[in-house]
Formats: sequence, C-alpha cells, structure tokens
Amino acid sequence: MGTTVSIELGEDRPDDELRRLIADVCDWLHEVDARFSTYKADSEVSRFARGELRIDDASADLRHVLEASADLWRDTDGYFDVYASGPVDPSGYVKGWSVEVAAARLLAAGSHDHYINAGGDIRMRGNHPDGGPWRVGIRHPWEADKVSWVLALHDGAVATSGTYERGDHIFNPRTGRPAQGLRSVTVVGPDLSIADAYATAALAMGEAGIAWLAKRAVDGYDSAVVTDDGRAFSSANLPAAV
Amino acid sequence: MRRSTAAAVGTLTGAALIIGVRLSVTPPEAPVVAAPVGNLADATPAPKPSSKKPAASGDKEGDKEKAPEKEEEAAKPKSGLKDGVFKGNAAANPYGKIQVTIKVEGGEITDAAATYPTANDSATINPPAIAALKQSTLDAQNADVSAVSGATYTSESYVKSLQAALDAAKA
Repeated sequence: MGTTVSIELGEDRPDDELRRLIADVCDWLHEVDARFSTYKADSEVSRFARGELRIDDASADLRHVLEASADLWRDTDGYFDVYASGPVDPSGYVKGWSVEVAAARLLAAGSHDHYINAGGDIRMRGNHPDGGPWRVGIRHPWEADKVSWVLALHDGAVATSGTYERGDHIFNPRTGRPAQGLRSVTVVGPDLSIADAYATAALAMGEAGIAWLAKRAVDGYDSAVVTDDGRAFSSANLPAAV
Repeated sequence: MRRSTAAAVGTLTGAALIIGVRLSVTPPEAPVVAAPVGNLADATPAPKPSSKKPAASGDKEGDKEKAPEKEEEAAKPKSGLKDGVFKGNAAANPYGKIQVTIKVEGGEITDAAATYPTANDSATINPPAIAALKQSTLDAQNADVSAVSGATYTSESYVKSLQAALDAAKA
C-alpha cells in the first residue's frame, strides 16, 4: 500500500520476544497488502473488482471489508464510498482495519502496551514505556515539523485525513470534484477503521463536515479540524494533553 | 386520495428531517401526518428557499387565515401537496422526541422546522449531540510526543516526516 508502519512496544520483555511480536505484525500487514492491494493484479480485491471472484467464494476477511464499507457508506451519508473512483477500492477501510487486527494480535500475544502507526493512522493501547498515556501529536497542516494538537490516550485510535500531503486526492462523491474547505481532519475513537473512514468522509464533505463530526461525539468519536483558511475546531471531549 | 397525500407528505417530512435539521438521530420510519395545524408554532423557521410564488409574503398570521381559500390550489398536479402547515407525529428515539413541521405554499415546501427535547435527562444528552465543534487558535508547537498522526504519507514523504525523526531518535 506504499506506506510506512511504525510500531512501538512499551513493555519490558526479552528482545527476541519483542522482535517476534513485531515480525508477526509485519507478516500480517504484508499478507493484507498481498490480498487487498488494488495495485496488485493478482490480489483477491483485484480479482473481485474484475468480476473473476464471486462474493460467495471470497474470503471471510474480504466479505467483512465489503460489509463494513457498506455500513460506513450509510453512516457517512454516502461520503465514504469505496466505489467513488469506479471499480471497488476498499483501501480506505483496509488500512485502518488491518492495523486494528494487528493490534488485536499483539494483545492476544500478551502485549498490553503498544502503538502501531500506519501512515499517520494510529492504534494504541496501555501505557507509554515511561508510564502514563501515549502522547500523540496531530501534524500541523502547513508546518510538517510542528504539531497543532497533542493528545494523551491509553486506549484508542487516531486517524487524520488531509489535503496537504497528496494534494487533491480526496473527492466529494456527490460532485466528483476534489474536496474543498477542510485542510486537515482528525478523528479519535475506539476503532481505527471507523475513525479513518469518518475523517475521510468529513474531509470530502468540506465545511459541512464540521457539523457532521460534532454529531459523532455521542458515539465516542471526537475530532479536530483545520479549515483551508486556517481556522481550528475541536470537539469538547477531545483527549487533549494538558 | 387523502391517504396518498399523507404518504407523500410523510416521505417529504422524512426528507425535511434529513436535509433541514440533521440532528443526530435516525429519521422516523414513517411519520404520519396530522391534520393541518395553525402555525409553525414557536419552532425556529429554517431559511426560506427562494419561492417563485410572488404571493408568498411570509406573514404567518396571514397564511393561517388564508389557508382555507387555498383548497383549490391544493388540487394542482405539480406536487400533490396541500397548502398549509403540517406536523409529523413525534418520533421517539433514545434521547427523546423529535417533531418535524413543514409549511406548504403553492404546492411547495417553503419551510421546515423540528423540535427536539430540552427538558430533563434529554436536555443533558442532546446539547452535545447538536453542539458545534469549538473554534480555537491553530497552535504550532514542538511537543514531546510518541507518535504523530497526519494525512497518509507515501514512503518518500515518510522520510521527511516528524514520525520518521521520532523513530530515528528511538532506534
């Protein structure tokens, strides 16, 4: 998927155990890339998109990805749309989901303190190695070496979508034009795949996304937004560090 | 005829809830429309869409009195909507009751408004649900953090990112 994953394990365990845990995460993410990359012609997703694989014959993982994407399409008034660019491309769901699964595997293997950062989308659990919560910076949308908010979390996910990194790559599926109005959208919540989809959808909505995000707070998804003209907005319960 | 009109208005009432109000509740499944009521009550009227009807004066009291005369206009085939002010049945949701009111003039919906609970427990649950995000100044800080969340970066841009610098510092 052409991204870089950073993993930090916070526990005091023998080096070879920690390396084995990280190797397991890497194996899983490479497996996901092989099966779900739309850039690989022989991936399961590519075969499904070309109609060579029937949904009934697809893996349980692919069926889950498609069902969850359909749920998110409804939850986001159609702004999170895996069919927006033509043939099905669930990459926007797969990234967050694969990291969620990777973090769950770490937990199952006995790691209670860790974070995984996949291209700026982070899932974390437990404590920082020095104790206390993980401190996560939200990248400043104009100054790449600065952060605009600092969050403190023990358990949860942080996903950011923005137009500053890859230009106009987020489209408003209603108009077919590049999304305008918001420069950066960060969503914080329990599940990374949902947080990521919400951030992408709000960015696609433009400024109307600010009001839409405000309504997600009751479900435990808080947000921080920067508009194209530099105004900053955040929900009341954003877990900002003091 | 009456039933089909009610169904059409019911659908439009649902649409009005979604388009005009956008509260954080699921729209009622099938609001049943009651008989026309006098006024938009004390609900806050939404901005009026531009109406081509020159007669639309916006005077609620006047509309109320004129309503009976508009019976023949109601027969216009354009939308099948009767003129008047219609209230949907209050739709219950976990946070309280929502009631949508629409105003029809010249066969077109010219106004829609909704009430939402402001009393008791619901009042404490609903304000956050409809509260806007707070505006603040945009900070630019060099903070001590473990990880950085940012828009998806490519492998090339990762090299230049703050996260890469953090990773290098820990390695």
